[in-house]
Amino acid sequence: MGDEVLSINDLHVSVEGNEIIKGISLTISVGEIHAIMGRNGAGKSTLANVVMGHPSYEITSGTISFRGTPLEEMEVFERARAGMFLSFQYPSSIPGVQVGTFLRKSVSAVRGENAPSARDFRKELKGHMESLDMDRSFLSRYVNDGFSGGEKKRLEILQMLLLNPCLALLDETDSGLDIDALRVVADGINSIAPEAGCLLITHYQRLLEHVKPDFVHVMIDGKIVKTGGAELAGDLEAKGYDWLEA
Amino acid sequence: MINYPQISIPPRSDHLWRYTPWKRIHPTKVEEMPEADEIKFSSGIDTKIEDSSEIARSFIHSISQTSKKISLDNETLELDLRCSGHICSGQLVIESSGKSNLIIRLSGDAGWTGLRILGIVDGSLSFAVINDLASDGHLLRCEDWIVNRESTFEFATLSAGGFLNKTDIRVDLEATGSEMRGGIASNGYGSRHDDHHIEIQHSVGHTNSSLVMHATCDGSSHSVGTGLLTICEGADGSDAGQVFRNLLLSEKARAEAIPELEVLADDVKAAHGAASAPINPEQLHYLSSRGLSYQEASSLIVEGFLMDAFRHIKSEKVVDTLRTRLLVHLECLMNG
Ligand SMILES: Nc1ncnc2c1ncn2[C@@H]1O[C@H](COP(=O)(O)OP(=O)(O)O)[C@@H](O)[C@H]1O
Ligand SMILES: [Mg+2]
Repeated sequence: MGDEVLSINDLHVSVEGNEIIKGISLTISVGEIHAIMGRNGAGKSTLANVVMGHPSYEITSGTISFRGTPLEEMEVFERARAGMFLSFQYPSSIPGVQVGTFLRKSVSAVRGENAPSARDFRKELKGHMESLDMDRSFLSRYVNDGFSGGEKKRLEILQMLLLNPCLALLDETDSGLDIDALRVVADGINSIAPEAGCLLITHYQRLLEHVKPDFVHVMIDGKIVKTGGAELAGDLEAKGYDWLEA
Repeated sequence: MINYPQISIPPRSDHLWRYTPWKRIHPTKVEEMPEADEIKFSSGIDTKIEDSSEIARSFIHSISQTSKKISLDNETLELDLRCSGHICSGQLVIESSGKSNLIIRLSGDAGWTGLRILGIVDGSLSFAVINDLASDGHLLRCEDWIVNRESTFEFATLSAGGFLNKTDIRVDLEATGSEMRGGIASNGYGSRHDDHHIEIQHSVGHTNSSLVMHATCDGSSHSVGTGLLTICEGADGSDAGQVFRNLLLSEKARAEAIPELEVLADDVKAAHGAASAPINPEQLHYLSSRGLSYQEASSLIVEGFLMDAFRHIKSEKVVDTLRTRLLVHLECLMNG
């Protein structure tokens, strides 16, 4: 441990002139799993999106760096190629583009020279799809087009497994999943976790029963108001958030 | 007696002729019937076709030396139409039964091509036209289709070639249970002008149609999609939908998408819509977050948008062929 993957320092973020993130600092190292919990609207997705470089958000002050490189110097696609991955809370659909084509392009963009041959790619894909309990017919469907909530989340996890990131941000990847799917998603996270930094955004404790976080942060109104160990998730489940509000 | 020169030139106030007037698409001077070379059909038997009272059809009829007929019965056929010479034309009759696929590819460097098709569908036909003509060619294409009882007509067009194109398609759902599903993908680049007019007539009740037209509009291209959907008196219980969408890729490109609806029957489901928009930034961001550069992401979105015009086409053979041709075309464009 000690290898910093993500380091956020006194970050302030605005959308359309409204400040959403109001001074957040957070460091994630290789092998660490962090969870951020908080009510709807607290700013959790904003934090994940801004780290990934969504163009709607403006960093008004503070810094973010990825393995020591300031992120403002990196385009979104460069962040992905450098090993950052965001599992979106609401992934976009791309009608007309088949999942198989999309995955192949993404893998060759991110893994570059180390991208697998067509044959190895198919093998890898098959293995991951089996572990995620996904049918082959998925590959000819259009990306997220007409997908159920659970199907979208599986596709996000499939991408994470194929891209094998060193920083994984998972924004409510557990919501809308039944218990079997949740276990499958948790297995996926656990399989990359030893070599990566993980940030799980969730508002349920459920996922955290299968993926044990090293740190749990509570976010209220754009700030981290409390940080603790895995036991904090249980406290939140039992007591809610009110006791943490100033 | 040939009808052509006697037919009066349609005014531009006519929906069909507003954006590509007859004078513009006629290869020479409107009163002329120039000599034309034959379109080379890779198969088909000689046949005769009647003249028409419609100006474009009659014109093609009057200058064409060949008329071919293709009969399909539970089969798949890929038909090549080679178009070369200064002016080139031909007529084609299509009769299909059983479950058939017909894929027509138009290619060649003709300066001007006229193609007239008359088709009758019995059973289920999945039909595609791929316009791969040289990028400075002109194309006038007229089709008339009749869909028989309990029959299904899938109709797809990939319009990628040619410089000035006018397509006029009429489909008559004239028997109970007949259905049509259409998809048109038009790729606008450079100063390409691509005009599609589609008339679908529900002559009797319990007939279904759906039409999707997607046009990408880049460079200073001009894309036109006009539809006329008629649900005739007594055609109760019919279901029809039309969607025209334009993907705006350049400020200089123009796009017209005008579906028109005429409903004279009761208890009918009819919906139509048109929309023009640039690339959705959320889609771009999603693909970028997966490592695709801006250029790679936008080309993939464009490709998807065009393929998505065929979302109602169920024939895998047809959709796969269209995808392959589209990819080749986009790659050629990219490599200049
Ligand atoms: N793109 C955006 N445009 C406008 N407001 C936004 C945008 N993204 C987030 N917000 C606002 O920021 C606040 C935090 O949203 P979000 O980060 O999605 O919260 P959470 O993920 O914790 O539920 C909300 O009030 C939301 O309306
Ligand atoms: Mg959220």
